[in-house]
Amino acid sequence: MRIELRAVRKRFGAAEVLKGIDLSVPAGRRVALIGPNGSGKSTLLRSLLGLVECEGEVRLDGRSPFDDRREVARRLAYVPQVAPQLGASVEDVVSLVARTRELAPAAIVRLAERLDLDVEALRGRPFRALSGGMKQKLLIALALAADASLLVMDEPTASLDARARERFFALCDELAPGRTLVLCSHRLEELRHLAGHVVSLEEGRVTYDGPAGDFLGGRGLAVVEVATTSLEAAGWLQARGFRTGLRGWWVRTLSQAEKRELVPELARELGPRMSDLLVRDLETVEVPHGGN
Amino acid sequence: MTSLAREVASVARLDLAEVLRSRWMVFCGAVYALLAGAFVLVGLRESSLLGFSGMGRVLLSFCHALVLLLPLLALTATGQVVNRAREDGTLELLFSLPVRRGAFFIAVSAVRYAALVVPLVVLMLGMAVLGRLAFGQEVPWGFLLRAVAVSAALLLAFVGLGIAVSTLVRSQARAMIWLLTLWALGVALIDFGLVGLMLQWRLDPRTVFLLAALNPVQAARMALLSGVTPDLAVLGPVGFFLAHRLGGAGLFAVGTLWPVAVGLGAWAHALRRFQRSDLV
Repeated sequence: MRIELRAVRKRFGAAEVLKGIDLSVPAGRRVALIGPNGSGKSTLLRSLLGLVECEGEVRLDGRSPFDDRREVARRLAYVPQVAPQLGASVEDVVSLVARTRELAPAAIVRLAERLDLDVEALRGRPFRALSGGMKQKLLIALALAADASLLVMDEPTASLDARARERFFALCDELAPGRTLVLCSHRLEELRHLAGHVVSLEEGRVTYDGPAGDFLGGRGLAVVEVATTSLEAAGWLQARGFRTGLRGWWVRTLSQAEKRELVPELARELGPRMSDLLVRDLETVEVPHGGN
Repeated sequence: MTSLAREVASVARLDLAEVLRSRWMVFCGAVYALLAGAFVLVGLRESSLLGFSGMGRVLLSFCHALVLLLPLLALTATGQVVNRAREDGTLELLFSLPVRRGAFFIAVSAVRYAALVVPLVVLMLGMAVLGRLAFGQEVPWGFLLRAVAVSAALLLAFVGLGIAVSTLVRSQARAMIWLLTLWALGVALIDFGLVGLMLQWRLDPRTVFLLAALNPVQAARMALLSGVTPDLAVLGPVGFFLAHRLGGAGLFAVGTLWPVAVGLGAWAHALRRFQRSDLV
């Protein structure tokens, strides 16, 4: 499904959340939306789902998702980040999606099984009583079963364990060619597996629209932790942005480029005054922090 | 089955499961039963009131209390339906599916209305049958049917108002204030209360009559009591005036049709706004 946005603006009261977004996503592209909190990612996703009305033009294969929401929704599937608190049973939820999408419930059950979720065993349990991971697996199965032309996912693996994430990525690899995917995520693993293209938003404006490799290179974050009892070393660390942790540990989160510069400098300047040093890469990507 | 009917049925199943699981229907039934039980105990001991005795009098007292209680139950059952679904992400998930907004609206309204009406009807019939079998009382079928019709109309009025509040007021806390205000107005603007105000602040009697006649609680109350007696002492001045202008049948028609019109009007207005507003 092709996505076209022209001069899209959205206001909530006095706050302008989207400030003239122009975006063109050809059918079959896999796009990640990245940006800090309040940058307008969620509102942009919701405008694609036809849940909010915006100024300007939002078109999915030439149709307005707000005015033709029901027609567009037949070809679109969505995985929300936060599962709704439905008191209805798992069976009722599966049945609702199967009926409205004219699917066989067995197709949903099979997909859920591939994510290690036994729907049959849980059929009578209230949806809201499931664990976070179970809810997420079911929501993914409900969305993937639709075989939609556009798949919109908001932090889809946030509640999944490593094994379930692997299975989810494998399922996404099996998506038919030509399926467009819009993903909202800061997790490097998700971005590497699912996105070929990145759109970065900042304060309601597009600040980057290009290949994922170019954007993600060097944007991974790392944590450097230093243990020292030396007061002199502590002052040096504080001056370089470290904050105190537990039991003599000093911690700083930084970009990959900063990490490459800082680690040799630490060895050179502090040397034996460091009693321990830990460096680990984080699974989240660095985003600009303009905020609004 | 048309596609709209299929969508309504699908969403209704989901909402019914929600209502049953939240034990709303059980709560409603329990409140009705508690009320009925209290009146049975008290009513059967007394000899007569307004020409009624035994079970008939119990039903009369029960219905009179319901006129005050039903609006509160209807408002609490519906006043947070749409805004809660909006806040907890249900609307976001539901409307990513090919489901019409109208289908959701019809489904949740119908389910909540049924959750309020069905236990009431079952209980009223149950009380009548119990009175007949256990106490040998004559069942006042005419009064019973009138009471069911009036109660159903009153519930419709406040289900419509409650759905309207939950749609138009986005904040759940503010919606709660609106709901309590609506209920307080419904209970306060009956003519006995208004006559007190009229005497206190020298209000124009026509204003008092108009306010009372526009209140669906007052309309339902008049329709219920006019089946018993057209006395001023029971009906109040507005009811007395209307009873002598319209007759018992006319008063019954006003008492059922006016709450229905209020409820459907509020519901239709809320639906129109829901069709074109942001869903999150």
